[in-house]
Amino acid sequence: MSSLSIRDVHKAYGPTEVLKGIDIDIDSGDFLVLVGPSGCGKSTLLNMIAGLDSITSGEIRIEDKVVNDTHPSERDIAMVFQSYALYPNMNVEKNISFGLEMRRMPRKQRRERVAEVAQMLQIEPLLKRKPSQLSGGQRQRVAMGRALVREPKIFLFDEPLSNLDAKLRVDMRTEIKKLHQRLGSTIVYVTHDQIEAMTLATKIAIMKGGVLQQLGTPAELYNQPANMFVAGFMGSPSMNLIPAELVASDGEPAVRMVRKDESSMLLPVGDNPAYRDWIGKPVILGLRPETITDVGSAEQDSPLLFQGECLIDVTEPTGADVFAIIELNGREVVGRMRASCGAKVGEKLSVVFNMRHAVLFDPQTEGRIG
Amino acid sequence: MASAVDTGVQSGRFWRVLIYVTLIVFAAFYLLPLFVMLVTSFKSLDEIRQGNMLALPLEWTIAPWISAWGSACVGLTCEGIHGYFGNSIKMVVPSVLISTLLGALNGYVLTKWRFPGHRWIFGLMLFGCFIPFQIVLIPMSQVLGLFGLAGTTAGLVLVHVTYGIGFTTLFFRNYYEAFPNELVRAAMIDGAGFFRIFWRILLPSSGPIIVVTIIWQFTNVWNDFLFGASFAAGQSAPMTVALNNLVSSSTGVKEYNVHMAAAMIAALPTLLVYILAGRYFVRGLMAGSVKG
Ligand SMILES: Nc1ncnc2c1ncn2[C@@H]1O[C@H](COP(=O)(O)OP(=O)(O)OP(=O)(O)O)[C@@H](O)[C@H]1O
Ligand SMILES: [Mg+2]
Repeated sequence: MSSLSIRDVHKAYGPTEVLKGIDIDIDSGDFLVLVGPSGCGKSTLLNMIAGLDSITSGEIRIEDKVVNDTHPSERDIAMVFQSYALYPNMNVEKNISFGLEMRRMPRKQRRERVAEVAQMLQIEPLLKRKPSQLSGGQRQRVAMGRALVREPKIFLFDEPLSNLDAKLRVDMRTEIKKLHQRLGSTIVYVTHDQIEAMTLATKIAIMKGGVLQQLGTPAELYNQPANMFVAGFMGSPSMNLIPAELVASDGEPAVRMVRKDESSMLLPVGDNPAYRDWIGKPVILGLRPETITDVGSAEQDSPLLFQGECLIDVTEPTGADVFAIIELNGREVVGRMRASCGAKVGEKLSVVFNMRHAVLFDPQTEGRIG
Repeated sequence: MASAVDTGVQSGRFWRVLIYVTLIVFAAFYLLPLFVMLVTSFKSLDEIRQGNMLALPLEWTIAPWISAWGSACVGLTCEGIHGYFGNSIKMVVPSVLISTLLGALNGYVLTKWRFPGHRWIFGLMLFGCFIPFQIVLIPMSQVLGLFGLAGTTAGLVLVHVTYGIGFTTLFFRNYYEAFPNELVRAAMIDGAGFFRIFWRILLPSSGPIIVVTIIWQFTNVWNDFLFGASFAAGQSAPMTVALNNLVSSSTGVKEYNVHMAAAMIAALPTLLVYILAGRYFVRGLMAGSVKG
């Protein structure tokens, strides 16, 4: 059953259009992550789902009920804010139960629910404290408790982890994920951290400038990005985007790569029918760093492995791996090697290109070919 | 190098001493009238006539205080100032409470429930703060007459609330401007309505600014003379007006000690408010002025 459906939603503040026709559908139990660069309209969209801001045109449905004109408190949603928005004058218990009190739940029942949630989030010892006496992580938990206790149809999170330090962020990320798996609740989660998006989401909606770029599972976005923006946004380090010419080599489409020493090599990109029309034309080749490796760490069962000697320009050791930068068609290209592969700056290395995961983009529209 | 540091410390100490001496001199200078009032109010008339204003009483007496409170002549009646003191209390308490509450409500609406033209409304209220009292005297007396409130304490309350609302709104607006909108939104999602959000979320977090507003309003309303003299004559006059009448209506000997005691009684409530809440006053002013 479709749990949340957003149809052609536009939002304008005066003359500035912030959302330019968003269409998103998610099922009950989905974990939708909205990602995109700062200012792309993620919070705006979330506020509209919450009903905190009106939409200019379009339609938002929650469980098949149009909620365009429904007050936030009647949409059966709960929201966790970036700043947590804990009521400073109330203790943790009151904070969590305030929503229930407003809904006229009897005191005894309220107590039980709060106790239940407090136990789930392990904040029982904190119930009598004021928010100012809590650490960042504890506040975050209380904010989640306030949402959980209401048992809403949809949870909305607006960058809930961005105020935490790096370590706590990873811990809380895991906890949110566990919570989702345990409760099976529907969640819409805003972040601009693509790692958070990849790890948490069952579906990712990636936005740019008020336009939805792609909606899909994390794997879809990673492996079949709809355009160069999505390709560059997801993954770290990001996908290499190399301008190249598509040629036919033995009847198979391939891209021509010119190395630093002017020698060229042909990398076959697989036989996709859509590629035929592009032979002889310029394209953009997209290659993820982990598909450019040393010989030992290549994906052995890939049907499209190609090996070539390349000059290493720079190495960036990260511990387990080393990112090696080579030059192809005048672009810096990052490959991911094992630390033990012996890559040395200024020396040649045998590099394997795993073209099974290569994607091609139209240089004009920046959309994916095929 | 070391000697340079030394002189630095030396001159630092020198300046500090200088600053303290200056401050003490000024503090003494400003406190002198209060001191004279206090000692005079505890002296007998004879002692006052003998002379030294600054001397401590040879014989302490609280008779002037008792007389000022209960039997001194104000105008034609000789019942002391206690009735007028009561008038002032009856005037100041509702004025302060109502204007503070309305200011808080205005500040809440002007920051969290913005409507088209909110800037204009706020601008006009600010403008109201700067209208001199004298200009509104005649229109105000007409309005009071119209409402049948002329010469009553209730009328004075209305005047002070009207006049105070500009300031109280300014205080609360600036304070609530810095109050996170997300809290209001969270409460909205939790199902709280307009007044519920105000009572349960904003007002309980407004301690410092409430103190500021109460002190400000209390001092202004309590110390007001012009409105009191204009709109509430006779038995319903506030303390300030009665004090003036007391001083000017004494026939024969001027009872300086009684006057001083009465003045002290008149000043006591504001003094008390400052002592009790003064440190919140400064803190609240700072908090309100950071943003807005
Ligand atoms: N009330 C408003 N009036 C005018 N423009 C607004 C208003 N609110 C937001 N905007 C604009 O809408 C755009 C999207 O804002 P939004 O807060 O949704 O961005 P975001 O994707 O959440 O960014 P971030 O990651 O920085 O939080 C921004 O360019 C912002 O300037
Ligand atoms: Mg945002």
